[in-house]
Amino acid sequence: MQGGIRAWEGLTAEGPPEAGMAFFGDAAKPDELAMLAWMLEEGSRQFYVRLDAYLKDEDAKHLFQSLAKAEENHEKTIAELYKTFSGGSAIEEKLPAEKGEFMEGGIRLDEALLWARDKDLRAILEFAISLETNAYDLYIKMGRRFEGDARKVFSLLADEEKRHLERLAGLLEKKI
Amino acid sequence: MALLDYFKPVVSMTAEDARVYMKGKNPDDYNLIDVRQPVEYERGHLAGARLIPVAELQNHLNEVDKAKPTIAY
Repeated sequence: MQGGIRAWEGLTAEGPPEAGMAFFGDAAKPDELAMLAWMLEEGSRQFYVRLDAYLKDEDAKHLFQSLAKAEENHEKTIAELYKTFSGGSAIEEKLPAEKGEFMEGGIRLDEALLWARDKDLRAILEFAISLETNAYDLYIKMGRRFEGDARKVFSLLADEEKRHLERLAGLLEKKI
Repeated sequence: MALLDYFKPVVSMTAEDARVYMKGKNPDDYNLIDVRQPVEYERGHLAGARLIPVAELQNHLNEVDKAKPTIAY
Protein backbone atom coordinates (compact mmCIF):
# COMPACT_ATOMS: atom_id res chain seq x y z
CA MET A 1 0.00 0.00 0.00
CA GLN A 2 1.49 3.27 -1.19
CA GLY A 3 2.62 5.57 1.64
CA GLY A 4 2.12 2.89 4.34
CA ILE A 5 0.23 3.52 7.54
CA ARG A 6 0.86 7.28 7.43
CA ALA A 7 -1.11 7.55 4.21
CA TRP A 8 -3.84 5.40 5.76
CA GLU A 9 -4.07 7.80 8.69
CA GLY A 10 -4.40 10.68 6.26
CA LEU A 11 -0.99 12.14 6.98
CA THR A 12 0.48 13.79 3.95
CA ALA A 13 3.95 14.50 5.30
CA GLU A 14 6.57 14.49 2.60
CA GLY A 15 7.64 10.89 2.26
CA PRO A 16 10.94 9.53 1.04
CA PRO A 17 11.56 8.92 -2.64
CA GLU A 18 9.63 5.67 -3.08
CA ALA A 19 11.19 2.67 -4.70
CA GLY A 20 8.54 2.49 -7.38
CA MET A 21 10.55 0.16 -9.57
CA ALA A 22 11.53 -3.48 -9.23
CA PHE A 23 14.13 -5.59 -10.98
CA PHE A 24 12.85 -7.52 -13.99
CA GLY A 25 16.05 -8.17 -15.88
CA ASP A 26 15.15 -11.68 -16.92
CA ALA A 27 16.66 -11.28 -20.37
CA ALA A 28 19.88 -9.68 -19.15
CA LYS A 29 23.20 -11.41 -19.72
CA PRO A 30 25.24 -12.51 -16.67
CA ASP A 31 27.88 -9.79 -17.08
CA GLU A 32 25.13 -7.15 -17.39
CA LEU A 33 23.55 -8.40 -14.16
CA ALA A 34 26.86 -8.19 -12.34
CA MET A 35 27.41 -4.65 -13.64
CA LEU A 36 23.91 -3.63 -12.61
CA ALA A 37 24.49 -5.02 -9.11
CA TRP A 38 27.81 -3.20 -8.85
CA MET A 39 26.25 0.12 -9.89
CA LEU A 40 23.43 -0.19 -7.37
CA GLU A 41 25.92 -1.07 -4.63
CA GLU A 42 27.88 2.05 -5.54
CA GLY A 43 24.74 4.20 -5.34
CA SER A 44 23.90 2.82 -1.89
CA ARG A 45 27.51 3.15 -0.71
CA GLN A 46 27.62 6.79 -1.71
CA PHE A 47 24.28 7.42 -0.01
CA TYR A 48 25.53 5.91 3.26
CA VAL A 49 28.85 7.78 3.10
CA ARG A 50 27.23 11.16 2.38
CA LEU A 51 24.47 10.59 4.92
CA ASP A 52 27.07 10.88 7.66
CA ALA A 53 27.05 14.68 7.32
CA TYR A 54 23.33 14.79 8.20
CA LEU A 55 23.47 12.49 11.22
CA LYS A 56 24.08 13.41 14.84
CA ASP A 57 23.27 10.10 16.48
CA GLU A 58 26.50 8.16 17.12
CA ASP A 59 24.88 4.72 16.83
CA ALA A 60 23.45 5.68 13.45
CA LYS A 61 26.74 7.16 12.25
CA HIS A 62 28.53 3.98 13.20
CA LEU A 63 25.95 1.75 11.53
CA PHE A 64 25.91 3.68 8.25
CA GLN A 65 29.72 3.80 8.11
CA SER A 66 29.75 0.06 8.61
CA LEU A 67 27.12 -0.43 5.89
CA ALA A 68 29.12 1.75 3.48
CA LYS A 69 32.14 -0.47 4.09
CA ALA A 70 30.02 -3.56 3.55
CA GLU A 71 28.74 -2.22 0.21
CA GLU A 72 32.36 -1.60 -0.82
CA ASN A 73 33.13 -5.23 -0.05
CA HIS A 74 30.11 -6.28 -2.10
CA GLU A 75 31.50 -4.29 -5.02
CA LYS A 76 34.76 -6.25 -4.79
CA THR A 77 32.88 -9.55 -4.72
CA ILE A 78 30.76 -8.51 -7.71
CA ALA A 79 33.84 -7.29 -9.61
CA GLU A 80 35.32 -10.79 -9.27
CA LEU A 81 32.08 -12.32 -10.50
CA TYR A 82 32.06 -9.91 -13.46
CA LYS A 83 35.55 -11.09 -14.41
CA THR A 84 34.29 -14.67 -14.51
CA PHE A 85 31.26 -13.74 -16.60
CA SER A 86 33.12 -11.50 -19.04
CA GLY A 87 36.15 -13.65 -19.68
CA GLY A 88 38.56 -11.62 -17.56
CA SER A 89 37.54 -7.99 -18.12
CA ALA A 90 37.81 -5.56 -15.22
CA ILE A 91 34.44 -4.07 -14.34
CA GLU A 92 35.97 -0.64 -13.66
CA GLU A 93 36.87 -0.34 -17.35
CA LYS A 94 33.34 -1.04 -18.53
CA LEU A 95 31.22 1.03 -16.17
CA PRO A 96 28.90 3.54 -17.85
CA ALA A 97 28.81 7.22 -16.88
CA GLU A 98 25.70 6.77 -14.76
CA LYS A 99 27.51 4.58 -12.21
CA GLY A 100 26.50 5.54 -8.70
CA GLU A 101 23.65 7.79 -9.81
CA PHE A 102 20.96 5.31 -8.85
CA MET A 103 20.22 3.14 -5.87
CA GLU A 104 18.04 0.10 -5.33
CA GLY A 105 14.51 0.42 -6.65
CA GLY A 106 15.60 2.92 -9.29
CA ILE A 107 15.85 5.78 -6.81
CA ARG A 108 18.15 8.62 -7.82
CA LEU A 109 20.99 9.22 -5.36
CA ASP A 110 20.78 13.02 -5.63
CA GLU A 111 17.02 13.00 -4.90
CA ALA A 112 17.49 10.74 -1.88
CA LEU A 113 20.25 12.96 -0.46
CA LEU A 114 18.16 16.07 -0.98
CA TRP A 115 15.23 14.41 0.78
CA ALA A 116 17.36 13.15 3.69
CA ARG A 117 18.95 16.53 4.43
CA ASP A 118 16.34 17.66 6.95
CA LYS A 119 14.79 14.36 8.00
CA ASP A 120 14.86 12.78 11.44
CA LEU A 121 16.63 9.53 12.19
CA ARG A 122 13.46 7.47 12.12
CA ALA A 123 12.59 8.59 8.58
CA ILE A 124 16.14 7.95 7.40
CA LEU A 125 16.23 4.49 8.95
CA GLU A 126 12.88 3.59 7.41
CA PHE A 127 14.18 4.72 4.03
CA ALA A 128 17.39 2.71 4.43
CA ILE A 129 15.29 -0.34 5.35
CA SER A 130 13.39 0.06 2.08
CA LEU A 131 16.72 0.25 0.20
CA GLU A 132 18.11 -2.88 1.82
CA THR A 133 14.82 -4.71 1.26
CA ASN A 134 15.15 -3.97 -2.44
CA ALA A 135 18.77 -5.14 -2.43
CA TYR A 136 17.75 -8.37 -0.70
CA ASP A 137 14.99 -8.90 -3.27
CA LEU A 138 17.38 -8.16 -6.15
CA TYR A 139 19.96 -10.75 -5.08
CA ILE A 140 17.34 -13.42 -4.44
CA LYS A 141 16.04 -12.86 -7.98
CA MET A 142 19.51 -12.76 -9.52
CA GLY A 143 20.54 -15.90 -7.66
CA ARG A 144 17.63 -17.80 -9.20
CA ARG A 145 19.12 -17.15 -12.64
CA PHE A 146 22.25 -19.20 -11.94
CA GLU A 147 23.61 -22.50 -10.76
CA GLY A 148 26.94 -23.30 -9.13
CA ASP A 149 29.37 -20.65 -7.91
CA ALA A 150 27.45 -17.64 -9.24
CA ARG A 151 24.34 -18.79 -7.39
CA LYS A 152 26.38 -19.13 -4.21
CA VAL A 153 27.76 -15.61 -4.61
CA PHE A 154 24.31 -14.05 -5.08
CA SER A 155 22.96 -16.12 -2.22
CA LEU A 156 25.77 -14.85 0.01
CA LEU A 157 25.05 -11.26 -1.04
CA ALA A 158 21.33 -11.77 -0.32
CA ASP A 159 22.15 -13.10 3.16
CA GLU A 160 24.35 -10.10 3.86
CA GLU A 161 21.69 -7.64 2.69
CA LYS A 162 19.25 -9.40 5.00
CA ARG A 163 21.66 -8.89 7.88
CA HIS A 164 21.93 -5.20 6.99
CA LEU A 165 18.16 -5.07 7.04
CA GLU A 166 18.09 -6.64 10.49
CA ARG A 167 20.71 -4.22 11.82
CA LEU A 168 18.76 -1.22 10.51
CA ALA A 169 15.50 -2.62 11.90
CA GLY A 170 17.22 -3.22 15.25
CA LEU A 171 18.41 0.38 15.43
CA LEU A 172 14.97 1.64 14.43
CA GLU A 173 13.40 -0.39 17.25
CA LYS A 174 15.96 1.03 19.69
CA LYS A 175 15.47 4.65 18.65
CA ILE A 176 11.69 4.96 18.28
CA MET B 1 23.60 -0.18 -20.78
CA ALA B 2 20.97 2.03 -19.17
CA LEU B 3 20.46 0.94 -15.60
CA LEU B 4 16.77 1.70 -15.51
CA ASP B 5 16.16 -0.61 -18.50
CA TYR B 6 16.31 -3.47 -16.02
CA PHE B 7 13.56 -2.11 -13.83
CA LYS B 8 9.84 -1.86 -14.31
CA PRO B 9 7.38 0.25 -12.34
CA VAL B 10 5.57 -1.52 -9.53
CA VAL B 11 1.95 -0.48 -9.23
CA SER B 12 0.90 0.10 -5.62
CA MET B 13 -2.57 0.49 -4.16
CA THR B 14 -3.25 3.89 -2.65
CA ALA B 15 -4.50 4.03 0.94
CA GLU B 16 -7.92 5.03 -0.41
CA ASP B 17 -7.97 2.08 -2.83
CA ALA B 18 -7.09 -0.25 0.06
CA ARG B 19 -9.80 1.26 2.25
CA VAL B 20 -12.46 0.77 -0.45
CA TYR B 21 -11.21 -2.75 -1.24
CA MET B 22 -11.24 -3.90 2.40
CA LYS B 23 -14.60 -2.31 3.11
CA GLY B 24 -16.20 -4.41 0.40
CA LYS B 25 -14.63 -7.69 1.54
CA ASN B 26 -14.63 -10.07 4.44
CA PRO B 27 -11.28 -9.95 6.35
CA ASP B 28 -10.83 -13.64 5.54
CA ASP B 29 -10.84 -12.84 1.81
CA TYR B 30 -7.36 -11.27 1.81
CA ASN B 31 -4.03 -11.28 3.63
CA LEU B 32 -3.26 -8.04 5.44
CA ILE B 33 0.38 -7.86 6.46
CA ASP B 34 2.16 -5.24 8.53
CA VAL B 35 5.85 -5.38 7.57
CA ARG B 36 7.02 -2.77 10.06
CA GLN B 37 8.84 -3.42 13.32
CA PRO B 38 7.10 -4.94 16.39
CA VAL B 39 7.26 -1.66 18.34
CA GLU B 40 5.51 0.17 15.51
CA TYR B 41 2.89 -2.56 15.27
CA GLU B 42 2.22 -2.40 19.01
CA ARG B 43 1.69 1.33 18.80
CA GLY B 44 -1.04 0.89 16.25
CA HIS B 45 -1.92 -1.18 13.22
CA LEU B 46 -4.77 -1.75 10.80
CA ALA B 47 -7.50 -4.01 12.17
CA GLY B 48 -6.76 -7.64 11.43
CA ALA B 49 -3.22 -7.00 10.20
CA ARG B 50 -0.68 -9.67 10.86
CA LEU B 51 2.84 -8.66 11.85
CA ILE B 52 5.65 -10.06 9.72
CA PRO B 53 8.62 -7.64 9.83
CA VAL B 54 10.15 -7.21 6.40
CA ALA B 55 13.43 -8.91 7.31
CA GLU B 56 11.48 -12.04 8.30
CA LEU B 57 9.15 -12.19 5.30
CA GLN B 58 11.16 -14.74 3.36
CA ASN B 59 10.95 -17.19 6.28
CA HIS B 60 7.21 -16.80 6.69
CA LEU B 61 6.00 -16.90 3.10
CA ASN B 62 4.46 -20.35 3.62
CA GLU B 63 2.17 -18.82 6.24
CA VAL B 64 0.67 -16.41 3.70
CA ASP B 65 -2.26 -17.85 1.76
CA LYS B 66 -1.17 -17.51 -1.89
CA ALA B 67 -4.73 -18.06 -3.10
CA LYS B 68 -5.78 -14.71 -1.62
CA PRO B 69 -4.75 -11.18 -2.54
CA THR B 70 -2.17 -9.70 -0.16
CA ILE B 71 -2.04 -6.11 1.04
CA ALA B 72 1.22 -5.11 2.74
CA TYR B 73 2.13 -1.87 4.42
